[in-house]
Amino acid sequence: MLRWKRAWIIAKKDLAEFKKQKLVIGSIIAMPLVLGVALPLIMFVPIATMAGPIGTVWDIQGLIEIDKCTNKDCFAEINTNQTFENIYFNSTTVQNMYLKNAHLQDCVIMFCIIENSTINNSTVQNCSIYYSQIENTILQFSEGTELYGKEIIAVNSSLTFTKVKESETAMLIPFILNYILVLFVIIPATLPTIIASYSIVGEKNNRSLEPILATPTTDGEILAGKILSSFVPSMGSTLIAFVSGAVLIDVVFFYLLGYMPLPTLNWILVITLLAPTASLMSILALVLVSSKVTDVRAAQQIGGFVIMPVIILMLGVISGFIFLSPFTIILFSVFYSIIDLGLFYFAKSIFNREDILTKWA
Amino acid sequence: MIVTEGLSKHFGTIKAIDDFTIEIPDGKIFGLLGPNGAGKTTTMRILACLIKPTNGRAFIDGYEIGKENDNQSIRAMIGLLPEVPGLYETLSAYKNLDYYAQLYDVTKSKREENIKNLLTNLDLWERRNDPIGEFSKGMKQKIAIARALVHEPKYLFLDEPTAALDPEASKMIRNYILDLKSQGRTILINTHNLSEAERICDTIAIVKNRLVKVGNPKELAHKLFARTINITLDFIPNSLINDLSALDYVSNIRVEGNKLFLNVKAPEEDNPKIISWLIKKGLNVQYVSEEEYSLEDVYLKLIEEAK
Repeated sequence: MLRWKRAWIIAKKDLAEFKKQKLVIGSIIAMPLVLGVALPLIMFVPIATMAGPIGTVWDIQGLIEIDKCTNKDCFAEINTNQTFENIYFNSTTVQNMYLKNAHLQDCVIMFCIIENSTINNSTVQNCSIYYSQIENTILQFSEGTELYGKEIIAVNSSLTFTKVKESETAMLIPFILNYILVLFVIIPATLPTIIASYSIVGEKNNRSLEPILATPTTDGEILAGKILSSFVPSMGSTLIAFVSGAVLIDVVFFYLLGYMPLPTLNWILVITLLAPTASLMSILALVLVSSKVTDVRAAQQIGGFVIMPVIILMLGVISGFIFLSPFTIILFSVFYSIIDLGLFYFAKSIFNREDILTKWA
Repeated sequence: MIVTEGLSKHFGTIKAIDDFTIEIPDGKIFGLLGPNGAGKTTTMRILACLIKPTNGRAFIDGYEIGKENDNQSIRAMIGLLPEVPGLYETLSAYKNLDYYAQLYDVTKSKREENIKNLLTNLDLWERRNDPIGEFSKGMKQKIAIARALVHEPKYLFLDEPTAALDPEASKMIRNYILDLKSQGRTILINTHNLSEAERICDTIAIVKNRLVKVGNPKELAHKLFARTINITLDFIPNSLINDLSALDYVSNIRVEGNKLFLNVKAPEEDNPKIISWLIKKGLNVQYVSEEEYSLEDVYLKLIEEAK
């Protein structure tokens, strides 16, 4: 029977050794920082900026200021509790208004009541819409008594509306979120190629496996310890990058678009299912690689190939061939789990005292 | 007690060790001697439950090697010093020992006590927090021995404990091994160092992929070589060799200067008779001694015969 306490003793020792390995520590800190935080920000800020207008907050004193906006494609954010009739907004963020007979083009509209109006290429959140025509518009958390319009695809019985059709820029957002999401699979799959190679090949080079094998620790406990010592820092580091990345994206979105897109079900499924299974796959493959090589660098180089299934996923997502939905995430997690299981049994079969001492050298 | 019965280990067509039968009583130091590739390390690894025998059986304290439950009990009773210390260079001496003590399920307070005692006995307590990478070869070997002892094992297996150490460090390690024996531990040593084996081992086994000979170093010499008596006289007459040849308990007589060499079967009985005979002949006996055969002589002869 596997005693996890012993496996954890082995893992703790490895973790203590990693603290002294500059390459390992550097990778654990730098990789999530770059892939999980910096890269998402670099990708997202321009997209979020394009997805919605940003401008000066106007202090609305009366209709004069609004009139200024009526005939121009001005960027503005108008936030008032007044009622406006027969007004035209283009590329404007509109909040807390009661709009009648309005024309809204390329706008972000929040917390408004809209009657007998036309809305085109806009994003509508938390609004009540009555007797209006809506085209190419995202509807979120909104409701109304009656709607008509060619582009409306889904309206449910309680008249709460979900997305109808997104604007071109806004449509990019889920794809970009998916690209970023893949990074949180790449990180836990890549880090073990550095960590596990030190943990097993380093031990092999150091000839320190024999004294461990002479203790009452079982082969399974040693293998579990080695897996844990790579899994814990890889996933720990990924988790920190994931939370930081998600918070930063939310902050950027909230500042630029007024809402926080994360966490989504996709993101939760990736961090709880796909990332751990991908990480395990990489670690177990490294255990197999480690049995054949005697050099840490060789293990790291070969380790580059063991993350191929994750690279395939990434290429699929970037090329648009794979769209990460909860279904595809679960599908890939199951696929990786099956690979993990196969690798685990294979690793267990070669991770025995006699082979380690007589064949691994 | 360690008992092996016809123990064999084959790697493919190579017979690392074959039909190996020995018995090591408790509290003794047993040496395995043999050339490189003679199967010494393989034998030690089988006894440490690291590899399984191909044939034969082995028992330690009644537990049979190869049975998984028994293996766990045996491993808990054994302390192993492998050929290479295999310590963690970036960790401190204390952490190295503490890690192994935890793997042997030693309680925290006992770990602290044992590590302190071992490092103090080995003059390394002051260096306990230094990384092993900063230690000399001899110091590392001491730590590796401490590691083998950290769980207070009944049996200690030492593979080349003084290899590559300077004479001072070797002596210190040898003395420490004798101390451990006096504490009642049973010690199995693999070594190439014949003088070391001669000094510390109660019993030795000469191995060359099989058991060539086993016994006390002196007994082995006596069994292998006829016992030669060296008698120094003030003068040796020419007729002496002929006269001595008449004695039925004397053989192989030769003379070098004023020294007379002759073989006898039992010096304890035959020496007084020869001395009396020489005195009766009017010869003055100056010294009498027995020619000593070293373990090296024994070893080389046995290994030559085993080829």
